[in-house]
Amino acid sequence: MKVINKVTHDEWRFWHRTKLATTILVIGTLLTIVSAIGNTIEIKHAAHERSHLQLASETQFLTQPDRHPHRMVHYGHYVFRTPSPLSIIEPGVDAFTGTSIFLEGHRQNSAMFSDQRQASGMTRFSSLTPSFLLQVLVPLFIILIGYASVTREKEAGTLHIMITQGVNLWHLLLGKYFALVSSGLLMLLPLVIAAIWASFNGESFLLTSSFVIGYILYILVWSGMVLTVSALSNKNSASFATLVGLWIVFCILIPRIGSSSAAAIAPSPGKLEADYAVLEELRKLGDGHNAADPAFEQLKKNLFAKYKVDKVEDLPINFRGTVAQYSEEKLTKVLNKFAEKRMQEELFQAQIARQFGWFTPTTAIRSFSMMIAGTSLETHHRFLREAENLRFDFVQSLNKVHQDTLNYQADINRHKDDKAARVNAENWQVLSSFSFEPDTAETRLTRSVIYGFQLILWATFVYFSLRFAVRRIS
Amino acid sequence: MAIFSNINREARFLAKQRYILALLSIVFLLSVFAVWSGISETRFQLSTIEKLLEKDAIDRDRVIAKQKDYGSAAYYSFHLTYSAPSAIAFAAMGQRDIYPWKHRIRMLAIEGQIYETDADNPELSFLGRFDFAFLVSVLLPLFVILLLHDLRSAEREAGRYDLLITTATKQQGLWLTRAIVLCSALAIALLVPFVIGSLATQAPIISVGLITLVVIAHLLFWMLLALVFTASKLADKQSSAQIASVLLSIWLVVTVLIPVGSDLTIDAMVESPNGGDIVLTQREAVNDAWDLPFNTTWDEFLTTHPQWEGKTHIGESFEWKWYYAFQQVGDQTAQTLSKAYRTATLEKNRLAERFALMSPPMLTQRLMSAIAETDTNAAIKYEREIREYHKALRTFYYPLLFNEAEFTLETMSGLPKFSNKKYN
Repeated sequence: MKVINKVTHDEWRFWHRTKLATTILVIGTLLTIVSAIGNTIEIKHAAHERSHLQLASETQFLTQPDRHPHRMVHYGHYVFRTPSPLSIIEPGVDAFTGTSIFLEGHRQNSAMFSDQRQASGMTRFSSLTPSFLLQVLVPLFIILIGYASVTREKEAGTLHIMITQGVNLWHLLLGKYFALVSSGLLMLLPLVIAAIWASFNGESFLLTSSFVIGYILYILVWSGMVLTVSALSNKNSASFATLVGLWIVFCILIPRIGSSSAAAIAPSPGKLEADYAVLEELRKLGDGHNAADPAFEQLKKNLFAKYKVDKVEDLPINFRGTVAQYSEEKLTKVLNKFAEKRMQEELFQAQIARQFGWFTPTTAIRSFSMMIAGTSLETHHRFLREAENLRFDFVQSLNKVHQDTLNYQADINRHKDDKAARVNAENWQVLSSFSFEPDTAETRLTRSVIYGFQLILWATFVYFSLRFAVRRIS
Repeated sequence: MAIFSNINREARFLAKQRYILALLSIVFLLSVFAVWSGISETRFQLSTIEKLLEKDAIDRDRVIAKQKDYGSAAYYSFHLTYSAPSAIAFAAMGQRDIYPWKHRIRMLAIEGQIYETDADNPELSFLGRFDFAFLVSVLLPLFVILLLHDLRSAEREAGRYDLLITTATKQQGLWLTRAIVLCSALAIALLVPFVIGSLATQAPIISVGLITLVVIAHLLFWMLLALVFTASKLADKQSSAQIASVLLSIWLVVTVLIPVGSDLTIDAMVESPNGGDIVLTQREAVNDAWDLPFNTTWDEFLTTHPQWEGKTHIGESFEWKWYYAFQQVGDQTAQTLSKAYRTATLEKNRLAERFALMSPPMLTQRLMSAIAETDTNAAIKYEREIREYHKALRTFYYPLLFNEAEFTLETMSGLPKFSNKKYN
C-alpha cells in the first residue's frame, strides 16, 4: 500500500513539474465547470419558459368564449415538454426533437421547432454540453496526461532499476493508475456537483448515484486503457500514436459508424410515406364532419333501434356529435397503429446504433447516460404518447358535449343562426392540464442495465489487458 | 530530375513503414464506408421520393374524382413537395437530416403546415452521421497530425537525423518532399473512393472538382501548419508526443471551441422570434375568424386581393371562398413573425459563414455542403419553393371559387404541379 501511495504522489509531483499535464487538467476542469454552469442556466431557462407557455396555452383554451364545440376541437391545444433535472448534464436527443406539439381533432401532428433547426449549424459535431466533454474530450485529456506514464520510465531506464530493486510491478502500475484516475475524477467533479444538485431538485438518489458511477466506470476504463498501452509500448511516441488512434476510433468513429449503419440496415420510411396508408384507411371510415356519410348508416340504425325512433331529428341526442365521437375513435385507432409502428422502427434503429456499445465504451456510456438522464428516444416517444392521450381525451370530451348539450336542430342550422349553435364556455373545462414528468427511477434504471453491463464488460476487458501487460514486462 | 529521385526515394522509404501503411489503409476503408453509406442514403431518399410521387398522384386522383365542388377538392387533396438530393449529396449530407426534404401541403393556411417536420430519427441525428464531409473536415486534420508530427523528431529519436541532414542536398527540401509524399498518399486514400462514388452517381464534373479542391486545400492547410510548427524553434527541444499534443490542442480549438463559441455568439447576436408564436398567432387568427363578421375577413383579404371585390357576397350556408379567405388572412397576420423568423435563420447562417473563416474544419464542412446543396441555404430555398407552390395553388383555385365556376374534372387537370429543378 505504501508503495502504491508513493508512486501516486510521485506521479502527481511529476505532472506538477512538467506543467503540460497540469495545464491540461486545469483546462479540462475549467471547461467542464463552464459547460455545467452554462447548461444549467440554459435548461432552467427552457424549463421555466416551457412551463410558462404550457400554462398560457391552457389559460387561453379555458378562456375561449361560447362556441360550437367542434370549433374548439379544431382550435386545439399546445403541449410542451419540460426537460428532466439531469438534462443539465446529458441533454440527449432534446436538441433534435421538437419540444412542442399542436394537438387538434382528427390529426396527430409531429413535434415542431427543434433547437437544432433554429441553431446556426455550427454545433453539429461538438457541443459544449458536459456530456460531450466527459464522453469525448476527457478521454483525450487522460491520454495526453498519461500516455508516457510507463514509457517515460522505460526510456529513462528507471523502470528496469525499480524492478531489479524488487518493486512489485502491480504496485507500481496501481500507483500510476490511481494518479491517472484521480485526474479524470477531478474533471468529473462538476458532474458530481450537478448530480447532487439534481438530487435536491427531486431526482432520486439511486438514480443520480448510478449516473455518477457510470461515468466513474468510464474514467476507469480509459485510464486503464491508457496505462495498458503505455506499459506495452517501448517508446513515448509509439504509445502516444496508438492511444490517439484508439481515441479516434472509439470516441469519434464507431459511434458515428453505428448511426450510419443503423440508417442503412433498417431504413425507416418516415411519417409521410405512412401517411398515405393512413389516409387510405381513414377514407374507409368516412368523414366525421358529414353525418350523412354512408359509413355511419349502421351507427344510425343502432341508435334508431335503441331509442325506438325512425328519424335523426327525433333522437334525444345530437347525432352529429355521436358521429364525431364515433369517427374520432376509429380514426385514432388507425393513427395510433401507424404511430406505434413508426416509433417501433425508430427504436429499432436506435437499438442497432446502441449495440455498438459492445465495440466502444463511448457508445456504452452515451446510451447509459441518456437512459439515466431520461433524455433518450424512449422518453421522447412517451411524450408523444402522453400528448396523444391528452388530445384524444379533450377531443372526445368536446364531442360528447357536442352530442349531449347542443341541440340537433340548432346544429344543422348553424350557418343561418350561428349564435344558437353554441355551447357555454364552461364546457371547455374538460381540458385536463398537462405536465410531462420524467420516467420513474425504476424504469430508467431497468432500461440502463444493459448499457451498464457494457461498461462493466469494458472495465473487465481493460483489467485483463492490464494483467497481460504486467506479465509481458516482468 | 532531382526532385523525382527525391520523391522516389522518400516513397520507397515510407512504403516500408508498417505504421504508415496501416494508417493509410484505415483511411481508405473509412472513405469507402463514408461514400457507401452516403450513396445508400441518397439512393434511399430518391427511391422514397419516387414512391411518394406515385402514391401522391394516385391518392389525389382518387380524392378529386369523388368531389363535387372546388372548395372540397382543395380541402381534401394533398400535394407532395420534395427536394431531391443532388448527385453529389452523398459526399455531404449536411443539414438534410434536420430540415425536411419532403412535405405535403394543402390549400389551408401555409403557416400552420410548413413547420411540420418529417425529420429523421432524432437519436441517430444526435449521434451524428459518418459522411465524407465529416471524414474530411473533422478527421483529416487528425490523420495529418499523426503522419507529420514526428517528421523531424522521429528521425532525431532514431538517431538518423544528422546523417539525413548531411546526405540531403537541401535540408528544407527533404522535409517538404517527405511531407508532400505522405499527404499525397493520404489524399489518394481519401479521394479515390470519393471519385469512384461520384462516377457511380454521375455527379457533375464541376462539383466533383470543387470538392476535390476543398479537400486538397484543407489538407494543405494542416500540412503547412504541421510543417511550420515542427520546423519552429519551439518544437526543437520537444519530443514527438509533445509536438503532437500542441497540434492536437490547435485541432481542439478550431474544431470544438471556436464553433461552440461562435454558436453562442451568433445566438446572442441574432434575435429570433419563437417559432411557436408564429403558429399560435396563425391559429388565433384563423379560429377567431369564425366568430368575426364576414366583412372583417373580407377587408383584410381584399387588401392583398383587390380583384375579388364585389364577389364577396355570402349566402345563407357555409361558403368555401370565405373559408379560404380567412385562411389567407391567417397567413397575412402571421406574416411579419414568419418573415422575421426566416430572416433570423438566414442571418444566423450568414454570420456562421463569417465565423467559419476562423475554423478551417467548419469552413470545409460548410463549403462541401454548399457544393452538395445540402446546407441551410438549400433548405431555405426548398421552403421558398413550397411557399411558391402553395401560392400557385391559391392562384389556381381563387378564380374558380370566386367566379363560382362549375366543377369539372377537366379544369382540375390543370392543377399546378410541383417541380423540383434538381430532379430529372
